[in-house]
Amino acid sequence: MIIMKSKYYFLYIILGAFFLFSSCKKYLDVPPKNIVNEADLFSNSKGMQLYLSRMYSQMPFEDFKYSPARQFFDDWLVTPGTNEGSSLGRDAGEAMTSEGWARNGAYWGRAFNLLRDANNLLEKLPAYKDNFNETEYTQYIGEAYFTRAIVFYALAKRYGGVPLVTSLLQYPEKDATALEVPRATEEETWNQVLADFDMAVANLFETSPVKGYANKYVALAFKSEAMLFAGSVAKYNTITGFGQKTKVRVIGFDPATAAAASAKYFTEAYTSANSIIKSGKYSLYKKKWSAGDKEAQYQNMVDMFFDASSPENIYTKDYKWPDLAHGYDSYNIPRQLMGGNGYSAGNCPTLDFVELFDGIDKNPDGTIKVWDANEKYILYDQPTDIFANAEPRLRAYVIFPGDVLKGQVMEIRRGVYTGSVAGGIAPLRTVNGTTNYSIGGPQTYNQTDAYTASGAFAGNKSLFLSQNGTTHEVVTLPDGTKMNGGGKNGPFGTSDLTAAFTGFAVRKWINPNLPQALVLEGRSEQSFILMRYAEVLLNAAEAAAELMLAGVSSPDGDDLNTVAYEAIRSIRERAGADPLAGISDIAGEQGLQVIRKERRKELAFEHKILWDIRRWRTQHSDMLNGFRQSDGAYYRGLYPFYSAVAGKWFFDAGFEEARKRFRLTEQEYYFAIPGAEVTKSQVIDQQPGR
Amino acid sequence: MKKFFYYIMNLIIVAGTFSCAKIDNYAEPGETLKGTVVDAVTGEPVLTDQGSEGTRVRMRELSWKASAPENLDFFCMKEGVFQNTKVFKGNYNVRVDGAFIPIVRLNTDGDTLADESKTLDINGVTEVEFKVQPFLKLEWAGSPTLSDGKITATVIVTRGVSPEDFKAKVEPMGNYSDDFLNITDVRLFVSQMPFVGYREWDNRYTTIIDYPGDSFNASLGQPITITTQGNIPPGRTVFIRAAARINYATENIRRHNYNEAVRVDLP
Repeated sequence: MIIMKSKYYFLYIILGAFFLFSSCKKYLDVPPKNIVNEADLFSNSKGMQLYLSRMYSQMPFEDFKYSPARQFFDDWLVTPGTNEGSSLGRDAGEAMTSEGWARNGAYWGRAFNLLRDANNLLEKLPAYKDNFNETEYTQYIGEAYFTRAIVFYALAKRYGGVPLVTSLLQYPEKDATALEVPRATEEETWNQVLADFDMAVANLFETSPVKGYANKYVALAFKSEAMLFAGSVAKYNTITGFGQKTKVRVIGFDPATAAAASAKYFTEAYTSANSIIKSGKYSLYKKKWSAGDKEAQYQNMVDMFFDASSPENIYTKDYKWPDLAHGYDSYNIPRQLMGGNGYSAGNCPTLDFVELFDGIDKNPDGTIKVWDANEKYILYDQPTDIFANAEPRLRAYVIFPGDVLKGQVMEIRRGVYTGSVAGGIAPLRTVNGTTNYSIGGPQTYNQTDAYTASGAFAGNKSLFLSQNGTTHEVVTLPDGTKMNGGGKNGPFGTSDLTAAFTGFAVRKWINPNLPQALVLEGRSEQSFILMRYAEVLLNAAEAAAELMLAGVSSPDGDDLNTVAYEAIRSIRERAGADPLAGISDIAGEQGLQVIRKERRKELAFEHKILWDIRRWRTQHSDMLNGFRQSDGAYYRGLYPFYSAVAGKWFFDAGFEEARKRFRLTEQEYYFAIPGAEVTKSQVIDQQPGR
Repeated sequence: MKKFFYYIMNLIIVAGTFSCAKIDNYAEPGETLKGTVVDAVTGEPVLTDQGSEGTRVRMRELSWKASAPENLDFFCMKEGVFQNTKVFKGNYNVRVDGAFIPIVRLNTDGDTLADESKTLDINGVTEVEFKVQPFLKLEWAGSPTLSDGKITATVIVTRGVSPEDFKAKVEPMGNYSDDFLNITDVRLFVSQMPFVGYREWDNRYTTIIDYPGDSFNASLGQPITITTQGNIPPGRTVFIRAAARINYATENIRRHNYNEAVRVDLP
């Protein structure tokens, strides 16, 4: 007992000593042996590899680990395309009004961690210059500038003017409040992006010394993208204002100088893109392509996203299971091929996107033709017939009803129609005898007369649907076989959105050879192509068109119209699209629209278009099915039905059943600065007006 | 006894660990700021939407010195009145922004041209009135009529501020364009809620009429007849309200002016 007691006394004495004698003695302040410090890292190329790996792992690349809802470095529910109008996703939200709302918050804070790494390299490496040969050393300096350019670009496109932290802040040596950097103007920020890209281009090797590192052409390509953004904002942005604390124009350009700034940035975008084109280092992927052979052209465009030796790839983010993997296949696989984690169809292309492409029968207003002259459905023998002549590129991006993936026919069917076909089938979206395809019409087919047996169908239920993947209304066909209302991929209306709820599924990036058992979260390892030659061509074309509109003469002597035309012509040829009539198609304001449309088609589902419609400032104002996003707008779907009596298929086009409402107000082109950052700082300004 | 000793020692240690926590004894916010936004000419309240596209009230507590004053925003009710009953006692700057000439005007260098915001001590119930110049005024002409689930209403849109006065006040803010005065759209909002407006409207029935350029100018002061879309089912009660806006954004939002909401019972 005595021993027990003294043990406790001893314990209290020790604890008391902790409270009383806590102090810090300098002689204990020795560098720990188990921590690698800068002198070690900067001593040889192996150490530098560690330093650069850390930087690259923090790079704000929009890839298989980026979604507007969950921001960077998060691979959950990644469904590229779902916020740009190319597709819709159950979990993806709608128009991007902020970032990271579902997880991880705004990018703001993370950016400055990486900036510090880059600034640290730029300031400290010169002292260790002797440890490297001259070319190695310049490459490392180039990497630091490239990193900084990418970070400032990522910030500028989100926030406008940001704090330009271009030197290493001496923290904790100095007081944090003394080190605060206020936001610069948006113009200064873009100029910093330009300057850093230029330094990167000047220092980086012609080819990446290690796969995954940047090189001169990577920097040039991203520079053209960033400068296109800057030029577009300078030209099209209308909202501007001053910070409350600093009186600095933190968003927008001074209207007096905006036009000149815009021309400057477009010139930079054009020259950097055209210098890549002229280098001849890259080309469009055409390994399987063959003129006039739509099947080959389609297969070529499927393969290009999986061929590591593609001459089109300028920069890729590579993955390798189990160290670094993602879940694209798991979240985006058609429901019919759903993997073990139970996710599927996170990315359903809209009819509005599909209608951008060639080879589809369309009405004069550009919408798909599903009715004949008498407003009765056109009947097809096979569900694939309606898209039989579709542009090969579209087939490579989107799975149509009846298409094949991994050897299986993709069953996309909204319902089975058992009504009479004599005199044709009347439009389905009819309630109590009133046909209504406007937003006020029936939201789902479950409300229509054919389903509820009312109106013209009184007492005669003629439409059979499935409520989800397991609850079906079953129809016995004339030949005695049974058919579920909905297909294996749905759509199932609003009751179950893990299906192709717009009538389409996505094919782009889906690994066609991944075994079913491996369609799992964190199991996919295909590379994400961050930058490919097609984008460089589109950047060159758009910048050239903008320069022509601004009346600026060619900066490099090449004829702007020819450069733009050749870029679009070659992309359309590879895609199997209808050829342009001629060079005049690319001229003027109309030509610019042709180039933009080509971009929306070619680069869909690649995290690019969302930023394009934002920099064009058209997202809130473009008329979309009778509404603008500034008032709240909706996309459309295409719903396949099987007529049991005719043994044929027909399609109904209209607002998609989930009625996902995209709403964006103009001020949301600039994200709000995180409130806590504004509150705790004497200098950081919130966006004007917010 | 020994046990008791250990209890005491344990308590001391626990108390020592938590001794850094201070009790939050700051007086709770109990003061009230209420006010109205009225037309400087007529003295009538400036009707608005309820939400971020309506009239915003921004308070900044100047008596709080520990950090830069934070923006405390809330929004006017649709009648053009506002009230905040949870305000800390102190000295505040209060401004309102809506579909009227900005009361705080800066030039392109960020210098203040005019500042009609109010700085006041808020203590007890503090009332405040802002006299502003609304861009537009909307009035009903007659009562709405009903036919086949459609409501037809007539509205008259007039300017609340003369083009000359508008130009005199807005032009010094820089980058002025005569297009600012153009009326871009007139809407007949329909909702089943009395709080009908830009943030609460039924897009099945609401009508939006866009006017390109200055094409609306001829219709200023003239009755405009608008009919709702679709067919509102019989037996419903809806609220309708007309709104119009000019091509000029205050605090980066183009806001509508409104008339009062009217209840319509469909037979």
